[in-house]
Amino acid sequence: MIRVSNLTKRYVGHTAVDAISFNVEPGEIVGFLGPNGAGKTTTIRILTGYMPASSGTAVVAGHDIFRDSLKAQQRIGYMPENVPLYDDMRVKEYLRFRALLKGMRGREAKNGIAESIDLCGLTEMRNKMISALSKGYRQRVGLADALIHNPELLILDEPTNGLDPNQIRRVRKLIKQLGLSHTILISTHILSEVEMTCDRVIILDRGKVRAADTPENLIKHLRTAGHISVEVNAATDMAADAMRNLPRVKKVIAESTEGNWTKFTVRAESGTDVRESIVALANAHHWPLREIHTQGASLEDVFVELTQSPHTD
Amino acid sequence: MAFIITISVLVGIIVLCLWKFLSGGTGLVLLSKELRSFFFSPVAWVVLTLVMLLNGFSFTAALADLREGERSVTLTAYTFNSIQFWLAYFFIFPVITMRLFAEEQKLGTIETLLTAPVTTIQLLLAKYLAALSFYIILWLPSFLNFLIFQMNSADDYSSIGSLTGSYTIIFLVGMFNIAIGCLASALTKNQLVAAMICFTFCLLHFLLGFILQNLSVPDAFREIVTHFSTQIHVRAFIDGLIDTRQIIYYISFAILLLSITYHVLEFRKWKV
Repeated sequence: MIRVSNLTKRYVGHTAVDAISFNVEPGEIVGFLGPNGAGKTTTIRILTGYMPASSGTAVVAGHDIFRDSLKAQQRIGYMPENVPLYDDMRVKEYLRFRALLKGMRGREAKNGIAESIDLCGLTEMRNKMISALSKGYRQRVGLADALIHNPELLILDEPTNGLDPNQIRRVRKLIKQLGLSHTILISTHILSEVEMTCDRVIILDRGKVRAADTPENLIKHLRTAGHISVEVNAATDMAADAMRNLPRVKKVIAESTEGNWTKFTVRAESGTDVRESIVALANAHHWPLREIHTQGASLEDVFVELTQSPHTD
Repeated sequence: MAFIITISVLVGIIVLCLWKFLSGGTGLVLLSKELRSFFFSPVAWVVLTLVMLLNGFSFTAALADLREGERSVTLTAYTFNSIQFWLAYFFIFPVITMRLFAEEQKLGTIETLLTAPVTTIQLLLAKYLAALSFYIILWLPSFLNFLIFQMNSADDYSSIGSLTGSYTIIFLVGMFNIAIGCLASALTKNQLVAAMICFTFCLLHFLLGFILQNLSVPDAFREIVTHFSTQIHVRAFIDGLIDTRQIIYYISFAILLLSITYHVLEFRKWKV
């Protein structure tokens, strides 16, 4: 549905998007994840034909977005960040304007408007002025607009930005529901959102794709490299040194002591599991060991590991 | 020969643009939305009322003065070429054009517009034609002044040539000034800045012709100035002389300004 290759966007002085490539297959819900300023919005603006790339190509639904932008745009439903709307229109009026703008006429437009109003739960608000709507409803109007012409692809830029927890849940539920019949690309910096809604995650940082996989795989990959929590009855310094000398251990931190018991956090190289060698070490020294477990890695750990730069800590 | 070529080029450009504008009906959807936002907001009605008031005032003043005795000017000239007319005239353009693009850019709705299957030329022409239509509507009440006066007077004071000329030149100058306003509005997201740019350049164009032409300058220079002096054009048109040179002047400048506006809007599409 989306084929991006070597897409680059340079502004004077900096590169917002740096030769990124990725694909989105039909029917997928893909999360576009990255810290603020990672280049998510820029990429999305290129994909929707709002601005061109400096180099590289993007093909959406079989149409090159730059050369054949009108045809590609016809197949995209786009909700920009912060949902810009005309405050002086009523909800229904606005949706009607948007439906006509997207080339729908007569009965087709009427049905499209009715369906998207229904789907986004705007029935009670349809005659209200947009200026009188709460942020949650504005977001839904934006979503209704994106849906109205029943596009194959939905691109939502931070759809839950600024909503309260209840509204966020409702929007997520709606996105899940829409995912059954549409391909969806969501950009967000909220991790739990991606974990809950997306089939696949593309992690973007400083203009580059850092990872692209299912949330489960990303976490699994990290889990073995995650932190191991060990609690032994031994002299703190000695035990820490002994563990540090184990192969593949990167870091050992003494977390807390409780009588003679000390709790350590051990960090190993990624892709390795050092639990066995720690147990063997404790046995060899005859340290009583009362707890050892891996700390459950979350997508947050993946995110932090991949996007942390030396100067942002 | 040159004249025929010029005319056919201009007509060609206009037909081509209108064809692009109308194709698919998207242009008309945008145009009706623009007109709607004029008339569903207080701006249109306030401007309409104030312009009616000022026109009425200038018309009454003209009538009162002409009643005093013989004057060398006609009623139409009095109405359209008086100080009160020109004072009010240049406030119209910033007010009707400052919103056009500046507001879309401020609200961010330019992004939803241009990511819908809409071309820049459709958007530009929709905005321009909406402003121009409103401008035309603005002058309809003033025509009623003449009509009612004619209906109530025993003799035939109507001067078809003079009236046609007056409204033609008002339309032409309007085309030109609204194009300036469009450009100003596309340049900024601040409506006040857009209004100031528009006001300054509309007035500057007028004053340049007005002042330079009254200075003691070489005749050759004066002749050049005459070509862009709105004041002189207005005088000729009010006397009923519909001069094609001026028609081409204003239309081609409007097209030039609109094409600059087009490139300003397309600027974000330039590859850097």
